[in-house]
Amino acid sequence: MIYLDNAATTGIKPPEVKAAVNNAMKNYCANPGRGGHKRSVMTSTAVYDVRLKLSDFFGGAGGEKVAFTANCTHAINFVIKGLVKPNDHVVVSELEHNAVMRPLLSATDNFSVFEVSLDDDNKTLENLISAINDKTKLVICTAASNVIGKILPIKEIGEICRERGIYFAVDAAQGGGVIPIDMLKMNIDFLCIAPHKGLYAPMGTGVLIANKELERTVIEGGNGIDSLSLIQRPDMPEGIESGTVSVPGIMGIGAGVDFVKKLGIKQIYRHELNLVKYLYDGLEKAEGVILYAPKPTENQYAPVISFNLENKNSEETAIYLNEKGIAVRAGYHCSFAAHNKLNTTNTGTVRVSPCVFNTFDEISKFIYYIKKMQK
Amino acid sequence: MMHKIPIGSITYAIKARDILRKSGFKASVERKTAEYKSGCGYAVVFEGDGQKAKELITSAGIKSGEII
Repeated sequence: MIYLDNAATTGIKPPEVKAAVNNAMKNYCANPGRGGHKRSVMTSTAVYDVRLKLSDFFGGAGGEKVAFTANCTHAINFVIKGLVKPNDHVVVSELEHNAVMRPLLSATDNFSVFEVSLDDDNKTLENLISAINDKTKLVICTAASNVIGKILPIKEIGEICRERGIYFAVDAAQGGGVIPIDMLKMNIDFLCIAPHKGLYAPMGTGVLIANKELERTVIEGGNGIDSLSLIQRPDMPEGIESGTVSVPGIMGIGAGVDFVKKLGIKQIYRHELNLVKYLYDGLEKAEGVILYAPKPTENQYAPVISFNLENKNSEETAIYLNEKGIAVRAGYHCSFAAHNKLNTTNTGTVRVSPCVFNTFDEISKFIYYIKKMQK
Repeated sequence: MMHKIPIGSITYAIKARDILRKSGFKASVERKTAEYKSGCGYAVVFEGDGQKAKELITSAGIKSGEII
């Protein structure tokens, strides 16, 4: 299969990630932060080492600021529900995934949406500033759109938030491990990561790095601390790690970080971007193809492209491609907001998202089948 | 002389251990036992100057209990 749905999860996990997971299943079968026996402390230390790796990789303020969640959506929920009260004002972009929009709507109806320009970041920033008011508590936005790949100017957004004393949270589901993100340099207070995407880690893993404190817990339970108290504090990291964490998943994350560092995040990004540029050129020349964003350029776009074929529903195109052994995702990509912006709420789009393991030959085959379908 | 400082969170106990080790202390982490007279959690165990260790941990922003 030619797997081009890496924005959903990376379809090939490196051997070192698989080995780390297997090693955890064999040698780290103990609950970290619970027992006092040798294996529990050894497992706790191994988990802590991955916290340190992630903090270092993303410019966090220390390993103790890194918490593991079931997925990036849970991490986002912890931020929104841990900070936002019903009357708080929040600002989001118009490209947000439902992982942001749904918990936001359950927390407050007092929010504003800023328009994202697909080719002028200054306009995006002007729109953001217009959306902020003196009651704004939080700006939360995606690092890169999961539908069209547009990278938001998060460093500049972070500066704007810092100047105004506003919390800044980033949904890095698509950006984490793909584009360089440094929380301290970019003034990001909360970073939500999907390690099973850009870090090639197992599914069922998420990371929250919180350089600021959350105000309340969201999920309470046992966390190995102060068991005689029925009150749980939201202190990172154990304050949001109620219940048992996935040690095999965490070990896989550590190996994934090492893998990305070994290849080089810039090298990975460049390769993937070149693949989507090649794809874009091929689609642009093909008959009856509708594209929804400008040709991806470096630092402006993550390696994600959406398109449609004239007079065909996106699901129809995806079914045809699946029959040819090509995996893509059609429909709405859990992002009503993005499809609302693109005016594709009737058709959805076909989304193509390569990873470091994809090749130009595979993209050539993709273009060939699209042209064949149009004939 | 062996000392113990209760930390609570395993994460912070390991951080405290690493801080002490970098400063030349022989340190390890253990589970809190009945002697600590507080809820469950962890402690950093080390040999050497208890006050200096406590200062190092506190200056790193780690909340801790009394030295035992």
